Amino acid sequence: MEQKKELPKFAVLQLSGCSGCEVSLLNAQEWIEDFDLVYMPLVVSSHKIPEDVEVLLVTGGVRTDEDIHNLAKGASRAKKVIAVGTCALSGGVAQVSETHPARDTYMLSSHRLRLPDMLPHAYPIDRFVPVDIYLPGCPPTPQLFMTALTNSENAKIASIVCQECGRQKLQDMRPTSITGMRSGVVLPDICLVNQGYVCVGTSTRGGCGALCTRPGHPCVGCRGPANPYLNKEPEFVLDNLRRVFTRMTDIPEGEINAVLESPWLSLFLDQFTDYTQDDSLPLRTKEKMI
Amino acid sequence: MTTITYPLSRIEGHARVVIDIHDDEVFRTDFQAMEMRGFSYYVQGIPAEQITVVVPRICGVCSTAHQVASVKALEDVFGVTPPPLAEEIREVLLLGQLIQNQATSLFIFTMPDRINAASIFEVAEPQKEKERQFSIAQAALRIRKIGTDMITLAGGQFIHPIKTTIGGVTSGIPREKADAMIKTIDSLLPVAQELVDIYWEMSMEMGDRIGSWGDDAPTYYLASTEADNFRLNSKRLRLMSPEGREVHNFSPHEFESYLQIEDSDYSYASSSSFQGEIMRANSLARINLANSMGTPKADTFLKRFVETFGRPAHAIMFFDLCRGIELVYALEKSRQMLEKDLEHGETEVGYTPRDGVGYGLVEAPRGPLIHHYQVEDGLIKNANFIIPTVHNMLAIRRALMVVAKRYVSAEGINSELERAVGRVVRAFDPCIACATK
Repeated sequence: MEQKKELPKFAVLQLSGCSGCEVSLLNAQEWIEDFDLVYMPLVVSSHKIPEDVEVLLVTGGVRTDEDIHNLAKGASRAKKVIAVGTCALSGGVAQVSETHPARDTYMLSSHRLRLPDMLPHAYPIDRFVPVDIYLPGCPPTPQLFMTALTNSENAKIASIVCQECGRQKLQDMRPTSITGMRSGVVLPDICLVNQGYVCVGTSTRGGCGALCTRPGHPCVGCRGPANPYLNKEPEFVLDNLRRVFTRMTDIPEGEINAVLESPWLSLFLDQFTDYTQDDSLPLRTKEKMI
Repeated sequence: MTTITYPLSRIEGHARVVIDIHDDEVFRTDFQAMEMRGFSYYVQGIPAEQITVVVPRICGVCSTAHQVASVKALEDVFGVTPPPLAEEIREVLLLGQLIQNQATSLFIFTMPDRINAASIFEVAEPQKEKERQFSIAQAALRIRKIGTDMITLAGGQFIHPIKTTIGGVTSGIPREKADAMIKTIDSLLPVAQELVDIYWEMSMEMGDRIGSWGDDAPTYYLASTEADNFRLNSKRLRLMSPEGREVHNFSPHEFESYLQIEDSDYSYASSSSFQGEIMRANSLARINLANSMGTPKADTFLKRFVETFGRPAHAIMFFDLCRGIELVYALEKSRQMLEKDLEHGETEVGYTPRDGVGYGLVEAPRGPLIHHYQVEDGLIKNANFIIPTVHNMLAIRRALMVVAKRYVSAEGINSELERAVGRVVRAFDPCIACATK
């Protein structure tokens, strides 16, 4: 009888998230021939992670007591754990407006009979289990998934989004205010900062192919800080962005500061850097980042 | 009392079915969403113009619908009318999402039920079946990818798209890229038709095996596509009575007069009704409310469906068959639209923000989606997401009650019940992430 080649077992554990990472993984179809997918409830009817998993991808943040249980159990059965997406790395979009009073109403509304309880915060997974590789992005592109799965040691990732964007930075085009979308115009081929958009591609980790900025939407920083800003405090990243806007624009400092502190950017920027405020979390070295 | 819990797979998000049985009698069925996303709470206080980046993250499967609904709601608040070209590009974007979603639901989520497999990626022996199924899976993924690529083409990003912005879209669709997409559709449309036919055959066999397409009683139907225009970038909602009459036609501004939304004690998802009556949204509702699809091949599929099952058709498993009609439609329609010039001309207009209230409606793959915002001092004061899956919640619960009664008797619990529960829930293609506001 023909001997069937043993493929490495591969599992995808989804905690609290939007399934966007799973959808992106499905778009990276190449892995289907290289791995034996043993657990991924989105596409396979299986309710238990087997004992000897080679690679466990974890998506979503830790937001319910059941998430903690599933994460601890899953990680103990896997040789390698990959944290996938902004939620698994930093809690994700659930952290927006964390300080707003609506958060209290939310906590009061989030109990149900016979159901898991919501935690007061969405936690990154490395607060609970060791992580071997971090794959940031909201969601990471299929190409980045393939890199994480097959070639993480030799990954060559663009340092910042600007490297892949292709829009030209001009010396003599200096906006005096942040007009953004209100102007109703996006000029092709010219840097969005030159056009008065709040684009944070200058500090954001590349590798995404600049999917947003090329068609004309500013980078919101979903891949988190580029290598020089890893494990740095929020002020460090914001200072760098301030310098970019001072160098490239004539926008008053107050206006720049206001927009840099806005929730739009806090969606990603603050989260990845807030992370440095928690001493219980391990450092993320650039070798572990895709 | 016995309580049976079935965890669910091959659906979007975390949910389970709980059935309570007492003295061989089923007295309660629940469909439980297991986590609460909480967006309607935590968008409060954020600058209104920034919400369009936040809300696609409600759900990675439905991010396109949320992004467009969000932009439309703010355009309503600010009094902005996007140029016609932008409306066309948004339609292509929504068609891309329909292709991706219906291909996923048909081939990845529900086809395994028809062949008794755990997934389309693994099929038991014999070898011949295995090979056939493998080629079906490969073809299905190629069809699904057309949707993904179309979302990228019209939306910039393939998940959480960004090209739709207040006032229009950031850029058009270049001719060469449109042509490449047309070429792909031309080569794969026959493949899609064949897959839909295979799916139809498999469903017929399954219907014979089970002896039923679903015995649940008729309901109201809710959709925002028009009778002779299947536009997804929609404007008004329509409600059909169980007898098949269109009884209401209303704008999203009036939704509260027609749709009553209630929280549940046993699920993080709410449920909605039409004045207390059970409704259904999603593919079966749209097809029941459509006279024609407006594209030749999809109309042939529609005709076969109506001639076989009548109109309105009510059985639960028809949802799946209707997705097949829509998949063919979306491929044909997007091809037609991509032939037009979507590259040149005005793609967006400027705007001045102002406070107020606004409503944004689109027909998402799971039904009509409304974003309803109140903006005060430039910030989101309140956000209300009227979610398609929520319209189906009562219908799902009742359909589960019907199957539970079918398979629970004095002789015991028939082992078919677990499979039946999965089939019923997947027919509605619920999205749990969306459904928990």
